[in-house]
Amino acid sequence: MAGSGSTEVVESTALEYAPYILLLPMLAFPVILFLGKMFNGNKTWKDGLKEGGLIALPVMAGSLVLSLWLVTDFIGGSGAGETEKWTWFTSGMWDSGQVTVREISLGFGVYIDHVTVMLLFIASFLCLLINTFAIGYMNTDPINDNRNHRFYAEFVLFCSGMLGMVLADSFLWLFIFWELMGLCSYLLIGFYYERPSAAYAAKKAFLTTRVGDVFLMVGLAMLWTLFHPHVDPASGLGALDYAVVFDSEIIDKVAASNSGTLAWALGLMFIGAVGKSAQFPLHVWLPDAMEGPTPVSALIHAATMVNAGLYLVARMFPFFGAESMHGELADLAFIIAAIGGTTAVMAAAIAFVQHDLKKVLAYSTMSQLAYIFTGLGAALYLANTLHWHEYLADGTKNPDYYVNHGIVIVAFGAALFHLFNHAMAKGMLFMASGAVIHEVHHAHHHLHPHDDDHHEESPEELLMLANYLSDTGQSVFGFFNSIDLDQSGEIDTYEFQTALKNAEIADLPPWEMQRLMKALDMDGNGKINVPELELTLGRVHLASLSGDDHDDHHDEFDAQSMENMGGLASKMPLTATAMLMGSLSIMGFPLIGGFWSKEGIIANTWRVALDDPRFFYPAMCVLLGAAMTGFYMSRMWLKTFAGSPKTDVAAHVHPTNTWIKTPLFILTFMSLGAIVLASMGFTHWAPDEYYKPFFDGKKSFLEGFVYEMEHAFANSDSFFFVLTYVAILLGAIVGPGLALSLYGGKLDEGEKVLPWFGPVFAINHFVKSRYHWDNTSFGQSGFATALENRLYFDHYYDMAMLKIVAAFSFKAAEADSSVIDGTVKTIERTSQQLSTKLRSLTTGSARDYILMAALGTLGLFALIWGVVA
Amino acid sequence: MIDPAWVSGLSALLFVIGLAGAFTRKNAIIVLMCIELMLNAANMQFAAAAVHHGDTTGWVYTIFAIAIAASEVAIGLAIFLAMYGQHESITLDDVNGLKN
Repeated sequence: MAGSGSTEVVESTALEYAPYILLLPMLAFPVILFLGKMFNGNKTWKDGLKEGGLIALPVMAGSLVLSLWLVTDFIGGSGAGETEKWTWFTSGMWDSGQVTVREISLGFGVYIDHVTVMLLFIASFLCLLINTFAIGYMNTDPINDNRNHRFYAEFVLFCSGMLGMVLADSFLWLFIFWELMGLCSYLLIGFYYERPSAAYAAKKAFLTTRVGDVFLMVGLAMLWTLFHPHVDPASGLGALDYAVVFDSEIIDKVAASNSGTLAWALGLMFIGAVGKSAQFPLHVWLPDAMEGPTPVSALIHAATMVNAGLYLVARMFPFFGAESMHGELADLAFIIAAIGGTTAVMAAAIAFVQHDLKKVLAYSTMSQLAYIFTGLGAALYLANTLHWHEYLADGTKNPDYYVNHGIVIVAFGAALFHLFNHAMAKGMLFMASGAVIHEVHHAHHHLHPHDDDHHEESPEELLMLANYLSDTGQSVFGFFNSIDLDQSGEIDTYEFQTALKNAEIADLPPWEMQRLMKALDMDGNGKINVPELELTLGRVHLASLSGDDHDDHHDEFDAQSMENMGGLASKMPLTATAMLMGSLSIMGFPLIGGFWSKEGIIANTWRVALDDPRFFYPAMCVLLGAAMTGFYMSRMWLKTFAGSPKTDVAAHVHPTNTWIKTPLFILTFMSLGAIVLASMGFTHWAPDEYYKPFFDGKKSFLEGFVYEMEHAFANSDSFFFVLTYVAILLGAIVGPGLALSLYGGKLDEGEKVLPWFGPVFAINHFVKSRYHWDNTSFGQSGFATALENRLYFDHYYDMAMLKIVAAFSFKAAEADSSVIDGTVKTIERTSQQLSTKLRSLTTGSARDYILMAALGTLGLFALIWGVVA
Repeated sequence: MIDPAWVSGLSALLFVIGLAGAFTRKNAIIVLMCIELMLNAANMQFAAAAVHHGDTTGWVYTIFAIAIAASEVAIGLAIFLAMYGQHESITLDDVNGLKN
């Protein structure tokens, strides 16, 4: 706890406890992992503690409570602050050009400002809800049995990574936690590592984000080089500490000599953010990340991973906002907005043709994050090109301070508020989609118990074993006794493996044996007894004779495909409501959730476009994207919940369990409640004197509400007035209208729905019966095919990687075998030849060697004697 | 007090006996014992020199040599066991694989 003297240590108890927000989940990680390992399969552990879920839950609740305390303190007026650092280690550092060695210490501290506070709330709140959801989702699926502890352990580590990244007080710690999240995303996406597709997706996510991370690291190194000469050695701060890099005086000094290099450093850091937040062109990993269990998707898409990139860009604000960098970073801001705009449209277009429920949401995430990037780009552009500080660079009072300051803060706030709304809505949508998939899956099990997931096709080895027994004329009992080496009456994995090897059927590695044992082991005790072996072999043999047609049926059924759903609104009312709210929030439907922030982003991008014509590109993109979002979100909801059930499975879906419902219920209100937050002035998110009255309670909630409504619907500026209604028209009428005319339809006769679905189905029926477009020609067009193939990005990336990496590896392999191995082998060959020659000199008798050694010693002794004497 | 010269003489005698045994006997264990004998002769010489010069360094060397001899015996016996496993004998004349 050695405080190494950071600036302004703020006295606040909430702040003192802030490090525990991330320490709690971090400490829970080993606890869950080891307890899970020790008590795996134990009944109390499994049912009582939900395999660690009920350890993670209070831990995440503790984090949330501490976060909320911090947030209320912050809003209550304690404002931005930092804690003393906890020193991690101290070391000497030698500076070139200095004679003395100076001591630096690396410590962890907490840095609080409005960006931190918002992300902290999002992360801790959603982590808790997703944890609740996971208990209902993971622990009820037999496929996860006895390995959920791995899920919960990695889950809490992931959460602590995100919380740590948000709280960190230097870019170095930000990077460390950033990488911790990268690791956890790899582990969790690859949770079902026995599926090759999951292993592939995990690898892809890890490697793609790594490309961005390399740039981030280079950017940070450049930043360090720029700021390091200006650090006061006595302060004990590192050159990447926020206290240093955000110090306006130091920024001024750096900008005076190296503003171009600073722009490059920030640009490289932005590439890191592009990778983490899955933006064009590093977006390819996100859709594949759906291979993880659904809670992981919710975690990655709403609470943690993808927000990290946005957080990093938001963190760069002080550089853009510095008066001394005025106009220098406008190009970078444009690049940020342009990449955002491109991704927004591209991802939305791909979402049009996806059939997989989770994939639609994945592309929706990509598109919405792109909105936030565009919004941040616009805000950073405004911050960089407007004189928005109270005093100008020459010390005179800024005449436009009041107006410009407001513009910048509102623009920045809109982007951050969309981050908030998107996180809430997307977390809910993923959990709702998880509930749907979970129940469809269960209904499928219920209807088709004979082809459930867990005995897939019977392993080929078992068929071979059955044939082997019938060929050699052995009875199953006789064979069993011959392989039961310890005569325990049961055979374990090792005995079975040996038996298969001896019978020359297969020599399998342990993990293959696990699969085989699973196929045989009916009572799940890890061992096989006679009836189990007899029954399974018999079944396998029969199946081989009759041909296995029902297995084909199973392969076709995909519980995630919207083609297998439809009409679920009456079966899962709460989930349908949640999904409707989430979709409306993402679409920016007036008054709900994302509307308040999405309108802001569109308006601010257009505001910049009026100044700088380059920005017309992202501005058009976000406007077009609004219509596209309306279309694909409506399509998703209608295909899943409206119309008649498309399969018999969908007709037999039941409502889900309470663990799953609770977070959906809470988040529905979070999405609806965005208006409350907006009225409280949260869209601005930076409490300064202009907006402080809202936080201090000097302006009432009602005044805030009127203010927001007035700005949204009756803007005094005629341009923004028209723009708002154009955006509403596109996002809430054109896009959804098109989807309503194509998809959905009335529910089956006699199905009861909650009252608020009534108008939705009425409009759907009305639009669909009146304007039914024929979209088959589009569906067969080359463009649709290209979209279904995700615009061939994966294809070309793979091609390029194959060309570059494979060619390089081939050459490297050649160099390895001829140069490196060649050298070693030459040495080996030469020494062998030499020793063959030397061997003929020896007698082979040990006594001769002793004699020679003795005589040699004697000779040596005599020699020394002679020389000395 | 015995004259250190006598002790030196005894140690030289022991050493020669050990040496002679080491290259006349065929049994590996006996050869090992002879080697130990030579080591102990050296130890005795060290001890005698330590007494003669009144310097403890000799004693220290002796202790080290004993410790090393102990581990050497352990390794040697292990080698003989392995040798027996391979050749079914511990006669040194049978172990001449390197020659061929």
